Amino acid sequence: MLLPWEYGVRNLARRPVRTALTLVALATVVMLVFVVVGFIRGLEQSLAVSGDENVVLVYSVNSEENIENSSIAPSSPSVLAASLDSAVKRYGVLHVSPELFLGTRVKTGAGEGGLGLVRGVSLTAPLVRRSVKLVEGNWPGDGEVIIGRLVAAKLGSSTDAMAIGNSIDFEGKQWRISGRFTAGGAAYESEIWCKLSDFQTTTKRQDISLVAMLLSPTGSAAEVELFCKERTDLELRSIRETEYYAMLQQHYKPVRMLAWFVVVLVSGAGIFAGLNMMYGAVAGRIREIAMLQAIGYRRRAILISLVQEGVLLAAAGSLLSGVIALTLLNGMAIRFTMGAFTLRIDSVAILIGCGVGLLLGVLGALPPAFKALRAEVATSLKAV
Amino acid sequence: MKLFFRLGLLSALLLTMGCGPTNVAKTNNDVGMQTNSKYVSTVEPKGAIPVGEAREVIADGQEVTLVGLIGGSSKPFVDGLAAFTIVDPKVPYCADEEGCPTPWDYCCQTDAVKQNIATIKVVDEAGKLVAGNVKELLNVKELSTVVVQGKAKRDDQGNLTVAANQVYVRPGE
Repeated sequence: MLLPWEYGVRNLARRPVRTALTLVALATVVMLVFVVVGFIRGLEQSLAVSGDENVVLVYSVNSEENIENSSIAPSSPSVLAASLDSAVKRYGVLHVSPELFLGTRVKTGAGEGGLGLVRGVSLTAPLVRRSVKLVEGNWPGDGEVIIGRLVAAKLGSSTDAMAIGNSIDFEGKQWRISGRFTAGGAAYESEIWCKLSDFQTTTKRQDISLVAMLLSPTGSAAEVELFCKERTDLELRSIRETEYYAMLQQHYKPVRMLAWFVVVLVSGAGIFAGLNMMYGAVAGRIREIAMLQAIGYRRRAILISLVQEGVLLAAAGSLLSGVIALTLLNGMAIRFTMGAFTLRIDSVAILIGCGVGLLLGVLGALPPAFKALRAEVATSLKAV
Repeated sequence: MKLFFRLGLLSALLLTMGCGPTNVAKTNNDVGMQTNSKYVSTVEPKGAIPVGEAREVIADGQEVTLVGLIGGSSKPFVDGLAAFTIVDPKVPYCADEEGCPTPWDYCCQTDAVKQNIATIKVVDEAGKLVAGNVKELLNVKELSTVVVQGKAKRDDQGNLTVAANQVYVRPGE
């Protein structure tokens, strides 16, 4: 015969302070798990949505995995356009975007700032980077820039400082913010875009970093790759944009592994904290447990009741943390070397966080319960 | 508690050991095995010249027999097409003991590679580029030594491309 469900529930209410403290401890552990998993999911999501399957990036063969270090001839877009018919062409406009991309120190009008990512683009950029949407203001003219949704986070500055009409400084020039854009969570959201020719003049560079091509339905990335291999004099390489960001995912694999390791450590620490607390809780109830055995309840029934208490508390803690994480943490911008991304409390994060919470409840309750049940009933009844 | 301690110890041990792959390139001893591909020649063509020499003497449209090692970049094969780059055998690549994960990119010899590289396109009887995975088609891998026979294509920039319909893979090299 099992103990009544209400018995376990009422037991929690009998010691409100201890229950509240255990709840806070469990909720804190689960919150830490949410933060770390949200960080990993945000980073993964940012890189995953950044690539377009139909876009091929052509950049310098010498820069290997880092487009910021790439430098190719400014004639590359026209050479590619003349030699290949892989790119989309609509109303006479070829969907090929020459871009100059670099990381540079950016200062806001308020004096804040940090290392920003600046991309010099032409009018064809939005045709190729299809996720980019200008949500406020205008396309940049001379001396103007548009900024991504996460630029303020990337620079560690306030959103007000990045308002339209304000100015920012980089490469020794003052630029007026003319608009804001989003990119569906892609990496561009932490970038500053300006006119390519303007950026080239300011940086005193004639080269470009890369050419992004939107492939037509009949075009193939392999043709572009073959062209780059045949024209060894141009020193170009090509890669699908999705593969480029998958490569970056690999680059950040140690960070992700470390973060998962932190999840394991936090969960482990949480389980030990839970064990400690449950030992204390059960130790104070040795006589009660012995009494239950004396009146005929089997050890298994008492064990289940104790686990029920632990799981109830853990589930409440997980729910509490889940609500806080979803309302306060989800979408919070995080600055990172490659730009910025948002914490992502998605279904996977919820599943892992709540799973760890429930595991804490079960694993935390079992050992002390076993210990209490192993003792002699007669001895336990006399325990103080 | 002893059980928990042992489990914890075991987990820590497993985490410490890790399971990362060894990233040192393997030698190509198993290359040159038999393949049924019609593009693979079983007899080595005579009079093959190295890539560097070919870039100096071969004219556009001329028939040529070239010898070289598959490489020249970290990805010498073109995905989805039977095309790859080869480098003159005289250009040295990183030795095994140097621990370079991609010795076929000739990372220490980039200047020498520029004058000693050619692109090979495997073509069918109609002269059309064959689609598919060239590694499986020819049973080759990076740093395999191949002898190709075909028609050279030169451009004003000195680039050399050979449209080959037969490729001989030297066994054990």
